[in-house]
Amino acid sequence: MRKIIFLLGFVLLINTSCEKDDFCLQNPITPSLIITFYDDVNRETPKNVRRLSIIAQSKTDSLFTNSASDSIAIPLNSLDTKTVYVLKKNDADGTRANNQIATFTIEYTPQDTYVSRSCGYKVTFNNITFSKDTNSWIKDFTPNTSTTIDNQNAAHVQIFH
Amino acid sequence: MQHMYKFFISTCLLFIFVDGFSQQKKDTIIDSKKDTIIYKSAYGLRVGVDISKPIKAQFDGSYSGFEIVGDYRLSKRFYAAVELGFEEETTQEDFTNSTAKGSYIRAGFNFNAYKNWLDMNNEIYVGYRYGFSVFEQTLNSYTPNVNNQYFPSNTVTTPITTSGLNAHWSEIVLGFRAEAFENFYITFSGSYKILMSVKDPDNFKSLFSPGFNRVFESGTGFGFNYTLTYLIPFQKK
Repeated sequence: MRKIIFLLGFVLLINTSCEKDDFCLQNPITPSLIITFYDDVNRETPKNVRRLSIIAQSKTDSLFTNSASDSIAIPLNSLDTKTVYVLKKNDADGTRANNQIATFTIEYTPQDTYVSRSCGYKVTFNNITFSKDTNSWIKDFTPNTSTTIDNQNAAHVQIFH
Repeated sequence: MQHMYKFFISTCLLFIFVDGFSQQKKDTIIDSKKDTIIYKSAYGLRVGVDISKPIKAQFDGSYSGFEIVGDYRLSKRFYAAVELGFEEETTQEDFTNSTAKGSYIRAGFNFNAYKNWLDMNNEIYVGYRYGFSVFEQTLNSYTPNVNNQYFPSNTVTTPITTSGLNAHWSEIVLGFRAEAFENFYITFSGSYKILMSVKDPDNFKSLFSPGFNRVFESGTGFGFNYTLTYLIPFQKK
């Protein structure tokens, strides 16, 4: 009997150690929007945007400056129902005169979804509508709408240029 | 070759012991008078309070609680035990702040594994409890975890209360009980709890259940009691 008691006490001791819900190991919690860039003619071919800079409207600091990438992850404003991004590319050289500007608008309904004790709430974006301004370097994009963005496992929108 | 066998066999025999007795024990002991003094122990209802909870409330401003305990001796080693209480606790996490409050009952039995000397009435016991709590939980505030500085989030401070929550659990108890004065006992016990079912609020989780304490991700919990109890003796046997 005494042995059993010690065993029980030991089991109790082991279990009081760190539990996995003490730290939020999930990353990211709130998904960012993932955009991939493709060639406008050969729509299967990823195409880098040269000297890409991205800034959200009404913001003064850029998220990326002069990066060459065919895939980006950009945050959405969870306090608003719309995020407008200004995307700049420059195919020719670094001069300001050759900058090409496009705006890309994402409209959505943000929703707070509970994840766990340590991670708290994440924001998922529902009923998403993408739109762009006319006559910009963004020729096309797909899809036009999306039901939800709740993870970053795959690209959410493809932009052709 | 033969010598080698002899050697091995002899070596083996070296380790054989023969245990023999030439005297046989006597079947009857001449002085066979049995000790006739039987120490009787009291049977009855033991009631008391858990003083750890008011003490914890003094030091921890986010907690308040009260618990009364009772047990009834069924046989030499078995006791039926019950605990009733009320608890309120505010849980502060990195992204949420919530308060749970409600009442609970735990019922089960203790098995005293300690053999007392003479007329002492101490216990080292193991026990089982079934626990049930009814509570409400209020999400006082939360900050959506947006993990970016570009579009930070605001803290939502509109409280959301969900009442009618409940939890069922099982626990194993290990305790030490000492009779400090006659019929007056001091008990320390710890318990390991396993959640059987819990009702969570919509789009949230029951982070604390009265009587269960913090609900861990794995559905387990811990508790401890420090109780002062008084035995109302009904009979001695």
